[in-house]
Amino acid sequence: MTTAYRHWEILERSTTGPFMDEDDFLPRRFTPTLKKLIKKYEIKYDPANPCPTDDAMADRIWQAAWDLFREVGYYNTDSHRIMQVSDQEIKEALYMANDSYLVGAGKDAVLFEHRQVEDSKTPFCIMSPDITCDEQYHQSICMAYLKEPLLDGICGPILEKTFGHLIESAGPSEISGCIQHIYNQKMAARLLGRPGTFMVAVGTAEHDSGQIAVSDDNWGVQKTDARLVGSLTEFKTADTLLNRSLHYAQYGSYTGNLTGAIYGGWCGGSEGTAVTTVAYSLIGLIMHGAIFNQHFPFHLNYGSNTTRELLWAISMAGQALSRNSNLLYTSNGFANAGPMTEMVFRETAVHAMVSTVSGWNLWEMASTRNKYRNRATPMEARIGCEVGHAVARQGLTREQVNEIANKLLAKYEDHAADAPIGSEYHECYDVEKAVPTQEHYDMFRRVKDEIADLGIEFPY
Amino acid sequence: MSLEELSKLVEDGETEEAEELAAKLLKDGSDPLLMIEELTKTMGHVGDLFAKLEIFLPEIMLAGEALSGVVKVMEPYLDAAGGQQVKGKVILGVVKGDLHEIGKNIVGLILETNGFIVKDLGYDVDPLTFVKEAEAMDADFIGASSLMTTTMPRQKEIIEILLDKGIRDKFKVIIGGAPTSQMWADEIGADLYCKDAKSTPDALTALLA
Ligand code: B12
Repeated sequence: MTTAYRHWEILERSTTGPFMDEDDFLPRRFTPTLKKLIKKYEIKYDPANPCPTDDAMADRIWQAAWDLFREVGYYNTDSHRIMQVSDQEIKEALYMANDSYLVGAGKDAVLFEHRQVEDSKTPFCIMSPDITCDEQYHQSICMAYLKEPLLDGICGPILEKTFGHLIESAGPSEISGCIQHIYNQKMAARLLGRPGTFMVAVGTAEHDSGQIAVSDDNWGVQKTDARLVGSLTEFKTADTLLNRSLHYAQYGSYTGNLTGAIYGGWCGGSEGTAVTTVAYSLIGLIMHGAIFNQHFPFHLNYGSNTTRELLWAISMAGQALSRNSNLLYTSNGFANAGPMTEMVFRETAVHAMVSTVSGWNLWEMASTRNKYRNRATPMEARIGCEVGHAVARQGLTREQVNEIANKLLAKYEDHAADAPIGSEYHECYDVEKAVPTQEHYDMFRRVKDEIADLGIEFPY
Repeated sequence: MSLEELSKLVEDGETEEAEELAAKLLKDGSDPLLMIEELTKTMGHVGDLFAKLEIFLPEIMLAGEALSGVVKVMEPYLDAAGGQQVKGKVILGVVKGDLHEIGKNIVGLILETNGFIVKDLGYDVDPLTFVKEAEAMDADFIGASSLMTTTMPRQKEIIEILLDKGIRDKFKVIIGGAPTSQMWADEIGADLYCKDAKSTPDALTALLA
């Protein structure tokens, strides 16, 4: 079962927890505690190994994350109070959490499962462009993702306009945009013959009201689908967010916690990013009753997570979670480069292989620093998920992946800051048919062959 | 005990020690204007380190705090030596409906460490609140951050309210955030668009010149 049964006890702490000025929470409480724990548990970043093999350190990271969450708590910016939990409650929630959930409906239902480090079980693959798109392409992009064979779940692109009107945050246009979003996505799934596909929806909802407006088992987000609730960077929440997790639980759909620990920000470097990411999984589980955590740690300057300092953090966080819990968590790639560039394919491949072998499930792929409208396509997600499947089936070890990742990193690492932004969806996809152009496919194939030459055995 | 040591203490974010040393240097007759000049250079250096992520957000913040502490100690001396140099007063916030606050926080920090006085209104801030707070502070700048296309119209609303109240000329309106651009700034009549925190202090100074 989910841990949502604790909701009321947890929510109450929004009003009864210790008071703290928000200005003090991160600099005086979060960061000093994190620094202290990194020292205490001797956690050390190793730039030579973006995919490290260090079980003992993984376990220490888990312990540090546990202590971090328990000591720091979760700050509600509306009540200015810290919501704290005990060791006992963390243990109980971990005991109660399932290691798998059946998601999606009917013949399209899939098992979303916990994975081990170096597991031969293939990763659960959620595909998402993670960006906004023009209204005219929304349906086509949903279709294009749903055409991907390895897709286990979809999170569709975000609308900026609804019926020609600019969507304004928290206004009626947001409600309308949210409904349009889920209609397009559900229709695409039906037309493609996979109507029960698991959906994480809807990204167009910026407010609780937008999410609540689409909770409908007939035409909207179904109970077999999931929705996200964000955490504010770092370790903070607000009533508008707590409203969501309560609604999701009461409506009966699955909850995912959306968190992106920022490298270079309050977490500091790779060590802090890894510890914070792990701690967020505990926050999602206990504070939001989430069945999975959607983690996108990213680099403060680049807005990506495919360079080694982030890969190390992702790998260690995955190993820590995998070895010490039975939770579900997806690794969300953020690339520097844009669609139809060799760089984005390489970046996604590296992100996926490091994540997969470290025990993660996959969420691919936010291209072009997650910043530009229409600049993400299913082809990046495809290469990531194919790599993930190959790495698992082949039973590659962390050492082997580390070696391949280093070779690929050498080809793009120096271009993190000046990565090419590539093409927009309609420039590298046939919009009507929702299939990639030949040029786009050929480039994908070329990079896939290059990766195969490095020792990845693709099933097809 | 030297100015270099003071710089080092500020860089390391050792507020108390920096304050003590500053007090001592001043008592021993150091030139406060020279000290400020040196510390400005130090903060520039700290800013560069942060831009390259050789140090991280918490470190630059501590350095900023140490600098503020030292400036407080120096205040009476600075006044005597011809006043402090405040580069400008800024009201800063993330517009209504938007919870993305990291970029704004960094901009605030960089401005403070570069000699601006910043009042941070937080996130999800009503356009009218920006205006009222700017009036109350007698600010030079209103800085509004928006990270979503859906909240960009709130930046425009700030300018509209200023126009309606007949006080548009009193404040320079600065906008930023990932989806915003020079084009958007031109469209809504903002005075300045900054693509990142690093370029902001110089751009603001240039606006007042
Ligand atoms: C981190 C993040 C989050 C975090 C925010 C944590 C927090 N408390 O800040 C969480 C997980 C909570 C989140 C939630 C959501 N997010 Co978000 N998020 C991001 C992400 C990935 C990075 C933003 C960031 O912090 N960047 C790092 C900082 C340092 O950069 P920056 O903000 O650009 O700031 C720099 C400059 O722009 C400039 N600057 C910024 N402000 C100002 C102001 C002034 C005056 C000046 C001079 C300069 C300046 O200086 C800064 C430093 O150099 C962006 C994607 C992106 N690449 O921007 C999406 C993004 C902003 N999010 C998006 C969305 C859709 C959402 C959600 C709706 C998701 C959902 N369905 O729940 C919610 C919205 C909640 C809400 N109502 O606000 C979309 C917005 C789409 C749109 N319509 O435009 C984006 C663009 C992703 C995408 N491509 O689709 N998100």
